[in-house]
Amino acid sequence: MKFKLPFNKKQPLLEKETPKEKESLVRVALTTDHFIQSIKSATNNPADLIIKSIPPNITLIYIDNLVDDQTLNNDIIANLLNNPQETPEAIEMTISIPEIVKSNLLQETVESLVNGSVVIHIDGYPQVLIGNIATRESRALSAPENESQVIGTQVGFNESLTTNISLIRRYIVSPNLCNEKLKIGTRTNTTISLLYMNGIANDQMVNTLRQRITDLYIDELLDSAVLAEMIDDNSLSVFPQMLLTERPDRFCDAILDGKMGVIVDGSSMAIICPQAFTEFFRSQEDQNLRWQIATFLRLLRLAAFFLSVYLTPFYVAAVTFHYEVIPQAFLVPLSESRALVPFPPIFEALLLEFIIELLREAGARLPTKIGQTIGIVGGIVIGTAAVQAGITSNILLIIIALSALASFTSPSYMMGNVIRLIRFPIIILAGFWGFYGIMLAFCFILIHLLRQTSLGAPYMSPFYPPRMKDMRDSLIRMPIPLTAKRTSLTRPKDKNKFEPEPVKPEKS
Amino acid sequence: MKNPIQLSPKDMINAYLLFFVVHGAQVGVGIQGFQRVIYQDARQDAWISVLLAGIASHIVTFCMIKTLEIYGSNDLYGIQQDIFGKWIGNLLNALYILYCFIAFFSILRNYIEVIQVWLFPSIGTWFLSATLLIIVIYAFTGGLRVIVGVSFFSIVLSLWIFPMLSFPLKYSVAESLLPILENDVRSILKGAHSMTFTIIGFEILNIIYPFVKDKKNVRKPVHLGLLFTTFIYLSVMMVSITYYSEGKLLKTIWATLTLFSFISFPFIERFEFVAVCFWMLIIIPNMCLYLWAAYRGAIRLVNIRGTTFVWLFSFFVFICTIIVQTRIQINAINTVFGHIAFYVIFVYPILLWILAILKKNFTSKKVHKNEQT
Repeated sequence: MKFKLPFNKKQPLLEKETPKEKESLVRVALTTDHFIQSIKSATNNPADLIIKSIPPNITLIYIDNLVDDQTLNNDIIANLLNNPQETPEAIEMTISIPEIVKSNLLQETVESLVNGSVVIHIDGYPQVLIGNIATRESRALSAPENESQVIGTQVGFNESLTTNISLIRRYIVSPNLCNEKLKIGTRTNTTISLLYMNGIANDQMVNTLRQRITDLYIDELLDSAVLAEMIDDNSLSVFPQMLLTERPDRFCDAILDGKMGVIVDGSSMAIICPQAFTEFFRSQEDQNLRWQIATFLRLLRLAAFFLSVYLTPFYVAAVTFHYEVIPQAFLVPLSESRALVPFPPIFEALLLEFIIELLREAGARLPTKIGQTIGIVGGIVIGTAAVQAGITSNILLIIIALSALASFTSPSYMMGNVIRLIRFPIIILAGFWGFYGIMLAFCFILIHLLRQTSLGAPYMSPFYPPRMKDMRDSLIRMPIPLTAKRTSLTRPKDKNKFEPEPVKPEKS
Repeated sequence: MKNPIQLSPKDMINAYLLFFVVHGAQVGVGIQGFQRVIYQDARQDAWISVLLAGIASHIVTFCMIKTLEIYGSNDLYGIQQDIFGKWIGNLLNALYILYCFIAFFSILRNYIEVIQVWLFPSIGTWFLSATLLIIVIYAFTGGLRVIVGVSFFSIVLSLWIFPMLSFPLKYSVAESLLPILENDVRSILKGAHSMTFTIIGFEILNIIYPFVKDKKNVRKPVHLGLLFTTFIYLSVMMVSITYYSEGKLLKTIWATLTLFSFISFPFIERFEFVAVCFWMLIIIPNMCLYLWAAYRGAIRLVNIRGTTFVWLFSFFVFICTIIVQTRIQINAINTVFGHIAFYVIFVYPILLWILAILKKNFTSKKVHKNEQT
């Protein structure tokens, strides 16, 4: 028996569908009394269900606060009162709202009712009119707080699916932008959108992603982060294989690269896949800066990654086992600073890392104003006091602070968390087996990364398999004329973004 | 031609990756201390021995590729079954698996010894053996794609060690190389023979060949890989001969590591501590490739699953690493293994090539005859 995650298990479809089908085939009742009764029993008679009669034979049913009051009053009720009609066709002509459909199935009626539609029933007709006038209440668009950048657009996604899609459509004005609507969650009925560019995105990958989403059998889906974890290639890995972003410009850039995006209604983060490991260390700002500066920043972030993961373990290993590798000039201040510390280096390092993590977590949970105070005052007070009390050495404090700082340079918060987490086992290995332990961890992480895939694409691309063309826009960013090719990670149908032009047009 | 290997393109690798596979399989524990063994025989002409061994590896590889090309898409195990028949072929296959096992074991045991001598004298062999085996198993269960990936990263990430050779160059004396060709041909050839243990690894080509997508382009990356290996061995040998005095080199077991020991930077000294640990990354593809080669043979003999095989294999290696303890035993194993490997790698492929050609002519004549009658 192979170990399988519970949510990946496909539910036996046949047994489930038979009762559902029967239910969905129930027709709408002919008389208003029966219809109201059936709606009430289907929705468990909620307190906010409003039933309104309009002469001669019309009944409006809707759920309060889900529908837009203004539209309801001005466009539906007012029209119906002014020109009384008696047939569904005539009413459909009278009402001036864009989304109106006819239905004769109870199940469909109830579903749209809870989705924010007004249901219009005419006594004596076995069908209803369903008008979608759901409120578009959502948070106003604001700057993306988790992925802020200096140069670039200052708008982030919000929690409304329609707003998010309209944002994307404003960036990509093209009929080739495909938007597939899917529903997930047997109880929450969450709407999610699968977006990709027709003619660029690889069909096979789109099918795989769609298959993974539709195969899910879960009852609730509240955020895209949950969905991302469930449709990952390897949900057990600590490394995320899909990117979560709240920047529409980054989302559109990825879509135009041939990637696929998923937006979940009610979540301000969009999923982008397939995603390679190095792409987590890219920021959208890199595209807006000159290529030399962008390259420098990307290399800086990579250095920060290595520093953050390996600096503290290196210190612990060197101080515990390999005094020989520390240069003599440095050995004196080091031993002076460690002279008062009663703990072994591993304990000292773990303690400080623990304090830093506590500060970070406390800062993240508290309201912004208090959080800042805690961060600054707590950091300085605890740091200085710990050194003076002789619990830790000054040098280790610098190293820990440096690696904590470095871990926050990761543009993806998800990846930053991973960096902070994998440091702990490496520190422990370094404390017990020195450089050998660090190297074990290094090899293990390398092999682990090599084993991962993102939507079937190699996670370590463009390094392995080596793709020279893709390296132009990976760790470094070459000038835009040289990066005319789309990344082959996505296996795009159209390989070229544009016709490559000479770098210096005046010379050719 | 029976038993060809059918593979889907998804499992295959590009030909240019063979550069990394061949080079990664060659460089391993041997380079840490091959100077002494060769210097014993060839003295200051040891570098000529290295060069000769390098040339020999090119010739043998040429024969290997020729043999493999006759069969199209088949590995050594299939070729042996075809040429020698089912029984003898399978016996040879079993022996080849044993060879891979010994190679794997000898790499592991040598590296464990290096760790124990240079870093942690008191650490248990069982611990080092178990941890390294777990890493290797983890890489192996990822499949060939991961193994080749590890080879790739092992080379790319350890390229920075090579320029470190310029540090001892400051203290080296070029006159140590003179007079050239003072020693007779026999001792130089004997030195080249001693290179076997260090230079082998490229026989992985025999097994990995069917997994290559574009088989026409195999030659270039493979020979480039061999050339690169020879270049590195040659430079290390040159630096060692010029840096060490005659008596010192004969007494230094890990001459390359000793070369590193006085390298110092403003932020780090005693570079060999880092180098010895970093060597783990260099030997892991070595072991993975031998393990994989053994696995490919094992599934021809018995019906066995990859995970079952790898645990069995590792268990036996683990037991053997615990049994073999002293420096003398390890040295003896290296010597014996070097002798066996010489015949397996440098003699047998040429023999196999001739047999393959004979068999091909024979069968084609037979087919020709059948067609006529």
